[in-house]
Amino acid sequence: MEEKQPPLLKIEGLEASIDETQILKGINLEILPGEVHAVMGRNGSGKSTTAHVLMGHPDYEVTKGKIHLEGNDLLEMEAYERARAGVFLSFQYPHSVPGLQVGNFLRRSVSAIRGEEAAKGPEFRNMLKEGMEQLGLDRSFLSRYVNDGFSGGEKKRFEILQMMLIKPKLAILDETDSGLDIDGIRTVAQGVDSAIRGSNSGALIITHYNRILEHVKPDRIHVLIDGRIVKSGGPELATELEERGYDWIEQELMDNE
Amino acid sequence: MSSSYLEHANTDKAAHIWRYTSWKKTHPTGIINDIPESNSPEISISLVNGNPIPEGVSIHDATDSDIERLGHELDFDHGSAAPKFITALVPKVTILSIKDKVKIESPLIVKISTSGNICTARLLIDIGSQVEAEIITIIEGDANWTGILREGKYGANAIVNDVVTQITGNRLLRCDALSLERDAQVKAGTVNASSSQAKVDIRHWLNEPGSSLKVNGSILSSNEDHLDSHIEIIHTGRDTRSRLEWHSACGGKSNTTGTGMLKIDAGAKGADAGQLFHNLLISERAKANSIPELEVLESEVVGCGHGTANGPLDEQQLFYLSTRGFDEEQARSALIAAFLNAPLSDMGSEPLHGWLIERIEKHLNMI
Repeated sequence: MEEKQPPLLKIEGLEASIDETQILKGINLEILPGEVHAVMGRNGSGKSTTAHVLMGHPDYEVTKGKIHLEGNDLLEMEAYERARAGVFLSFQYPHSVPGLQVGNFLRRSVSAIRGEEAAKGPEFRNMLKEGMEQLGLDRSFLSRYVNDGFSGGEKKRFEILQMMLIKPKLAILDETDSGLDIDGIRTVAQGVDSAIRGSNSGALIITHYNRILEHVKPDRIHVLIDGRIVKSGGPELATELEERGYDWIEQELMDNE
Repeated sequence: MSSSYLEHANTDKAAHIWRYTSWKKTHPTGIINDIPESNSPEISISLVNGNPIPEGVSIHDATDSDIERLGHELDFDHGSAAPKFITALVPKVTILSIKDKVKIESPLIVKISTSGNICTARLLIDIGSQVEAEIITIIEGDANWTGILREGKYGANAIVNDVVTQITGNRLLRCDALSLERDAQVKAGTVNASSSQAKVDIRHWLNEPGSSLKVNGSILSSNEDHLDSHIEIIHTGRDTRSRLEWHSACGGKSNTTGTGMLKIDAGAKGADAGQLFHNLLISERAKANSIPELEVLESEVVGCGHGTANGPLDEQQLFYLSTRGFDEEQARSALIAAFLNAPLSDMGSEPLHGWLIERIEKHLNMI
């Protein structure tokens, strides 16, 4: 009999609020190593909140539930400790840091997460060069300031470049596809594939649209409505949502009540 | 000279220039009629890349005709006490001269090393026409009180990056009175990393058409530092342009003030001017004041604006860095360094920037 693989990420009964307003109302989710999952839902359903709670944003209060990464309790950790434990969040709207150069930032970030050795020497330089080439980023990009004056596409590509260099165990992509053109989506998808596929890492892609999922084939799709995962399925669910929207799921829920 | 100072020794405390740091507090003995003995600092020049000083660049004692040619009349309005005091104290006057059309390939370091109780220097700056140069003036040493007066001109069509780093550790009074000739392009930077008490009064005159000036400040205050900088830019020529960007990172129990005055005289048609003060409060007990002012006497201007922004470290930036593995201390220091680096990187070339960054980082690590 095949032994069941322990989950990379396990979320149980997660409830969270911001400013005393409850957003997440009991999320359950398991991602196995090597799997890519997608969470879809309307605006305000709790998608970005899920991403921020997983990363440990201090504005959100977890009121109930558990989150474990490879068996380690994430809720006991600060955001930087989660990052060092292997969680990576690609932001929907990455923050700019005028005055902090991209090259310097990348080295320090890789050093903090993967250790000093990983951030120096030819191996790092080669990885950086390859990543930038793959994402279509010019070398002059390294001397610019973090996200300062970047176009929407540059911001998203930079997030993916960071992911490729950091090599996280769990990559959370919060609407990384929004605002990107088709070429941009394809490039980002290749970045996700090269960082996650064939490794023991996993990814949680948060998106409104099916388009990115046509390039990064997810193993599971979850539908989030009003802070709960109300339906899960295979990749075909994304196509169905694209064609039929979310009303039919809400109708199903009402019928079941 | 002393009589000229004494005529201005009684300052108007209500005037902006003295409102935050009085002349009495700035004066080395606190007795405003006192004109004490002063040392001269050692002043030397070198190139950042270690090469010999190129022909046409020199530093030497100034002659009376140099003083007459380059010494401004020191009309600092209400602020005249300070430059006139330094003029009354200095044992000698020095001139830094860069002859017409000289291009210096590496930043030129002007080191002013102070010692003793009171140390003063009057440095004339004579930059010829079509000069291309980067100048880093380092004010350092262990004098208890240092007074530096820099006066002079940037020649026509010169392209000059002129940065002054204040790393004296003790009390500093600095006055600049510099004019830009036709089409001169100047970036004037100030880096303060460790003065415990500094009163800085920087004035530039854009007297001739087409001249362009960028004034940048990167100020780090900590402990109980008291730093007061006044920056004044006077447009009198046509089609002149100036920008002022002043960043102060305020820590400890420090008190940091930045006052700016943009004057556009009648006749300065086509002038374009703007000033911005940013204060980053990195400690709850630090205080920061920013007072940008405008005086526009010409109606046909391209623009004239001012602004100020104050606040603590941005929580969202801190979170972003923490998601990239920076612990709280690393994230805070990275953001403070970034805040100071933004104007720093605009002060000149990469070698100059690299040199400055090294200096700033040392002091950041110390706090």
